[in-house]
Amino acid sequence: MNLIGDGSLRREIGFGFLSAIILFVVAIIVEPSFGDPSNLRSLATQAAFIGIVAIGQTIVVLAAGVDLSIPWVMGSTAIFAASLANGETSALMWVIPLLLCYGLFIGLLNGIGVTLFGVSPIIVTLAMNTVLQGATSLLVGQSLTGALPSGLANLDTKTVGPLPVDFVIWMVLAVITVVFLTYTGFGRRLYAVGSNVRVAEFAGISSIRVRIVAYMISGLTAAIAGILVAGYSGQSFAQLGEPYLFSSVAAVAIGGASILGGYGSYIGTLAGAVVLTLLAALLPILNLSAGWLAISYGLVILATLSLSKLRPDQRSVTT
Amino acid sequence: MTSASTPSLPTTEPTPFVKRGVRSAVLRNVARYRPVYVAYGVLGLMVILYASLDPSVLNVNELNLQVSSGLALILVATGQTIVLLIGGIDLSVGGVISISTCLAATKFGAFGDQILWSVLIVLLGAGAGLANGALIAYVRLNAFVVTLASWSIFGGIALLILPTQGGSIPESYTSALTSVYGTIAVPVFVVVILAILWVWFRSTRMGVRMKAVGSSSQSAYLSGVSIARTTLLAYSLSGMFAALAGLFLVTQTSGGDPLIGNQYVLPSIAAAVIGGSSLAGGRADALGTIAGALIITLLGSVVFTLALPTYWQPVATGLLLVLAATLGALVQKRGEGVKL
Repeated sequence: MNLIGDGSLRREIGFGFLSAIILFVVAIIVEPSFGDPSNLRSLATQAAFIGIVAIGQTIVVLAAGVDLSIPWVMGSTAIFAASLANGETSALMWVIPLLLCYGLFIGLLNGIGVTLFGVSPIIVTLAMNTVLQGATSLLVGQSLTGALPSGLANLDTKTVGPLPVDFVIWMVLAVITVVFLTYTGFGRRLYAVGSNVRVAEFAGISSIRVRIVAYMISGLTAAIAGILVAGYSGQSFAQLGEPYLFSSVAAVAIGGASILGGYGSYIGTLAGAVVLTLLAALLPILNLSAGWLAISYGLVILATLSLSKLRPDQRSVTT
Repeated sequence: MTSASTPSLPTTEPTPFVKRGVRSAVLRNVARYRPVYVAYGVLGLMVILYASLDPSVLNVNELNLQVSSGLALILVATGQTIVLLIGGIDLSVGGVISISTCLAATKFGAFGDQILWSVLIVLLGAGAGLANGALIAYVRLNAFVVTLASWSIFGGIALLILPTQGGSIPESYTSALTSVYGTIAVPVFVVVILAILWVWFRSTRMGVRMKAVGSSSQSAYLSGVSIARTTLLAYSLSGMFAALAGLFLVTQTSGGDPLIGNQYVLPSIAAAVIGGSSLAGGRADALGTIAGALIITLLGSVVFTLALPTYWQPVATGLLLVLAATLGALVQKRGEGVKL
């Protein structure tokens, strides 16, 4: 497998980027100021949040799972960040590493539930989401809204050269992910386990370990995104992660990955994250309400899925 | 020689053969029905717990009250159970419930309108489910992603019908659906009818076909079951039940809400799984789901009575969900061992 997969997958990814470009051109035509650097920076930041959570979702989906605990891993991470740091930027030195470990730990629990207990990933991660929702309130008390230390709260206004910091973090993580999936043994084992657990086991791969690591990565990226989104908003709040359940799965689906595992690439997901961000930015320009945004999200997912099915060389994947 | 002696085997050794047959049949039935028994056992414990906190709740009024507040969840979870039975999943019920409440809150008027629109809403729900089923059965898309997408689409349509919480439900409609006959309220009758319909349905040809498709779609296909027709019907029923849930929900909220359905998606799956259904397909029982939905509803009341912070309800539901699913996975494994 090369950097972005086989021929069929490459066309799907091409379709993703093509739709992103079409959306962008339409937006520029309708509203010329859409191309302003400030607007582009804001779009890049929005896309970064989806893109980062979608790293974990892509890896879990490649391993034939799904992570529905993302909203409250993000939410609880942000809430803990606010309450632990207590407004002091210097405290971030230990708070952030601790929270990243927390994300890994939640992923570990998800992975154990899926592999060792043999429970459906939908149920394990769903239950984890609900439990985290309650446990966070239990630990922090009723006030889930908290301000973040200034060092983190102003992150979105900081730039690296012309690029927003969040976007740069995303790009670094994206490159690591693509290299990790394409050139490492783990990446190959992940695809093998996702395609067929039994065959992978016969080939001497520990499918349990691979799947647990996949969920841990998803916990980690959700924790990173939780911290960054809280930094962007300047505060933590209960509903912080809610939009990302849908958008992480949507980005993966638009990116051409099979929800059944073993097929897909992060570059596709990246295109998916850009498409979702542009759609959200385009509809207000066209004076369309939130209802139309939700409808267009759904239609884009269905269109992408159907197109990939209509191709003659698409591998037969049954429901 | 061997062919001649083979038929005589049962007659020469009748006792162990029959014994083994009976025992395996019993084991099979235990493995098959245990999740439902467990669900009703847990429901019983919940009732005891609730009654021990407040003995005054052991009366018919409380039954009416609990079933009324749980009815929307029972209905949507029953639809979810049917989809789980064929090995699918339906996340779009959230959008369908929202559409249903928004239409009810904006279109209901005189008595004739109410009946007309109620029928239309149920048909719309079935149509929405049919669309899901068609994409899954004919375009062969994955159920999880299709219904995730259509959840978004239906939710968007609900927002177009009614952008914010509002509208109104005629008093006559609410009182008709919440009225009490003797000492029993309408929702209790609805649940009893639902249970009877399910017991009938699961032994019909279609019910057995759905179980077959969920257990192994390949074997079902090879024995002549139309996977497409079964899938279409299952998702249509799920959409229909979600629409019905919305129609009952408005009697509680007395208005429409374009987002209210989203709160029911995950609990509908949780109720089915706590009731003993498996996401792997082939093992789903609406009788258990009714218990599961009532357990979740009662949990809310227990948390309220104990004056615990409200977040205990999701925590307890989540833990119960994992427990039920783990138990289900174990029973499934044992059931497989017993299976011929």
